[in-house]
Amino acid sequence: MKQDIAAKTMIISSVLFFGAALTMGLLTALKFIAPTVGEIEYLSLPRVRMVHTNINLYGWLLQSNMGILFWILPRILHTKLFSEKLGVATAVIYNLTLIGGITCIFLGKIQNVEYGEMPLIVDLLVLVCWVMFSINVFGTVAIRKVKYLYVSVWYTLGAVIWTTFVYITGNLVTAMPMVTGINQANLSWFFVHNAVGLIFTPLGVAIAYYMIPKQLNTPIYSHKLSMIGFWVISFVYVWTGAHHMIHGPISHWLQTVSIIFSFSLIIPVMAVITNFFGTFANAPRSTRMDGPIPKLLMMGTIYYIFTCLQGPFQAIRAVNEITSKTDWVVGHAHMALFGAFSYFAMAGIYYIAPKLMGRDLYSKKLGDLHFWIMTLASIPFFAVLWISGVIQGFAWLNPENTFVQTLAALKHAHVMRFVTGGGIFIAYTLFLYNIMQTFFGKYSEEAVTETISE
Amino acid sequence: MKKLDVEKSLILTAIGAFVIFSVGAIMTTVVPPLVDDTLWSAGEHDVHEYTEQELRGIAVYKSQGCVYCHTQQVRKLASDQRRYGWRLVEAPPSESWEYVNDKDHFLGTKRTGPDLARVGGKYSSEWHWAHFKDPRNMGEKFPDRKGVYEKASIMPSFAYLSDDEIKDLTAYIQTLGRNINWRKDADGNELNDYEK
Repeated sequence: MKQDIAAKTMIISSVLFFGAALTMGLLTALKFIAPTVGEIEYLSLPRVRMVHTNINLYGWLLQSNMGILFWILPRILHTKLFSEKLGVATAVIYNLTLIGGITCIFLGKIQNVEYGEMPLIVDLLVLVCWVMFSINVFGTVAIRKVKYLYVSVWYTLGAVIWTTFVYITGNLVTAMPMVTGINQANLSWFFVHNAVGLIFTPLGVAIAYYMIPKQLNTPIYSHKLSMIGFWVISFVYVWTGAHHMIHGPISHWLQTVSIIFSFSLIIPVMAVITNFFGTFANAPRSTRMDGPIPKLLMMGTIYYIFTCLQGPFQAIRAVNEITSKTDWVVGHAHMALFGAFSYFAMAGIYYIAPKLMGRDLYSKKLGDLHFWIMTLASIPFFAVLWISGVIQGFAWLNPENTFVQTLAALKHAHVMRFVTGGGIFIAYTLFLYNIMQTFFGKYSEEAVTETISE
Repeated sequence: MKKLDVEKSLILTAIGAFVIFSVGAIMTTVVPPLVDDTLWSAGEHDVHEYTEQELRGIAVYKSQGCVYCHTQQVRKLASDQRRYGWRLVEAPPSESWEYVNDKDHFLGTKRTGPDLARVGGKYSSEWHWAHFKDPRNMGEKFPDRKGVYEKASIMPSFAYLSDDEIKDLTAYIQTLGRNINWRKDADGNELNDYEK
C-alpha cells in the first residue's frame, strides 16, 4: 500500500467533521437567541449541543491528531509507519463508527456521560479503533531507526496509554450497575477532565513540539524543560477530576486534593510554554511570520497559557463560587479545545497537506486571511463568554434576582457569541477551501516532498 | 554498570508514564468510595425508591438531555441555598447519600436554567404540563409568568413529547429533593406543598 494514505484519509475526514461541528455550534448559539428555531425533537438544544461536542472531540480533534501523528511519527523515528493497512482500516472503521454514534445522539439513544454520550456499542468500537491506533504507534516506535525518543513520542505514548484507561473508566465503568449517584459522578468527571487533559493536551503538545522547531528551523529551547513538562503533567493532571464538584455533594478532602493538583498544573504548563516561546525567541525573524503555520502555533500557545492559567484559579473555592456553572466555563472549554488544540491541529494540517501532495500550499495569503479572521473573531468570542459568566455568577448571589432576570441580562452576550461564532465559521470555510484545493485542486507548483531518510 | 536511559527505551517510557499516572488514577477513582461510604450507601437514611412511572420519567429526562442546562445539586453556598429554597426556607445543601438510588446522576456542569435538585413539590404538575408545552406562553392559568420577562426563557418547548411522556417526566421531577424533609417553617409546621 502507498505511504501516508492513512494520514491523508484521517486529515481530510477530520476537516469535514470540523465544519459539521462548527455548524452545530452555531445552531446552539442561535437557539440561545431564538429558542423557537428548529423546534423538532432531533434538533432540540441539548441534542445539538451533544452532537457539537462529540463531533468536535472525536470527529475533528482526535481524528486530525491521529492523522497528523501517522505522518509525524515515521518522520521523527526515521522509519515507515508500522502498518499502513492497519492505519487505513483504523480510519475507515473510526469514521463509520462516528457516523453511527452521532446518529444515535440525534435519536436520543445516549449514555449519560458528558463528552461520552455515544452509546455503549459505539464506545466499544471506538476502543477497537484506539487499540488499532496504539498498535501502530507502538509498532512504529519499536521499528525505529534512531536511538533516542523525541518529546513528541513521549507525549504520544503517554496519551495512548492514559486514554485507554480514561476512556474505559468514563464510558464502561460508569455503565456498571453498582456504580450510581455521586460515585458515578466522580468517575464521569474523571473522564471529562482527563479527556481534555490526558488525550487532547498530550496529543496537541506532541504536535506542537514537532511543528514549532521544524517550522521555525530552530532547535527546541530546553531539553530539561521538556522532561519536566512531561513527567510532571503525567503525575499531576489525573488528580483534578473532582474540581467539577467544588462546594458540591462530594467528600471535602477529594475537593481539596483536586484544587491542590489543579494549581500544581501551573508547573508543567509553564515548562511547556517557556519551551515554546524560547524556541520562538531564538528563531530567525524571517520564519516567525511566514505564512499561517507559525502564526497558528504562536496563537495556539498564547491561548494555551490563558486557558491553563484560568484552570488553576477557577479551582480556588472563592473564585469557583462565581464562575462555576456559568457561561465562563463554556468560554474556558472553548479556549482549550478550540483556541489551543484546534490551532495546533490546523497548523499541523497546513504543514502536512502540501507535503502529502508533493507541492506547495494552495495559497499562503488565504491561509493568513483565515488565521486573522479566526483569531479576531475568537478573541471576542471567548471574552464575551467570560464576561457574561461573571455577570451571571454575581447576579446569582442576590436571591432577589429571579432566574429569568439573570438570564435576560445575558441577551447581548448571547447575540455577540452568535455573531463572533459566525466569524469563526467564515474563517473555517477559507481553511476548508485552501486545504481541499491543496489536496484536489488543479494548480502546479514546485514539488516539495519530505521523504523519510532511512 | 550500564546507565539506565529512559529516553532510549520504549518500554521504560511507557511503564513510567503508566505507573506515575496510575497513582493519581487510583487515589481519585478507587479510593474515594472505599473511604467514604456515603458515595454508594445511604446508611441510616431513607432514600426514595423510584416507581415504574418515575423510572420512565428518568429515561425521558436522560434522552432529552435536560442535564445540559439544569444541574441537580444545591451547593454548600448561601446563595444556592436561598435561591433554591421555598417560601423563605433555605434549601439544605445536597448530600451524597441522597443520590444512591440514581442509576444515572444528573449533577450537571452548567446552569442555563435553574437548579432542579430541590424542585419537587414547588410547582403543581399542572404548571409543569403548561411549562413543558410552551415555556414562553403558559396560558391564562399562570398569570405570574406575565410581564417583561415572560418571553425571556430560552428553554426549548417539549410539545413534541407524548402526553404520557410528559406525565412520567413530571412524576420524576416531583420526587426531586425530598429525601430530606426540609419544607418546614421556623415553628416546625409543614409548609404547603403542591404534590405529596
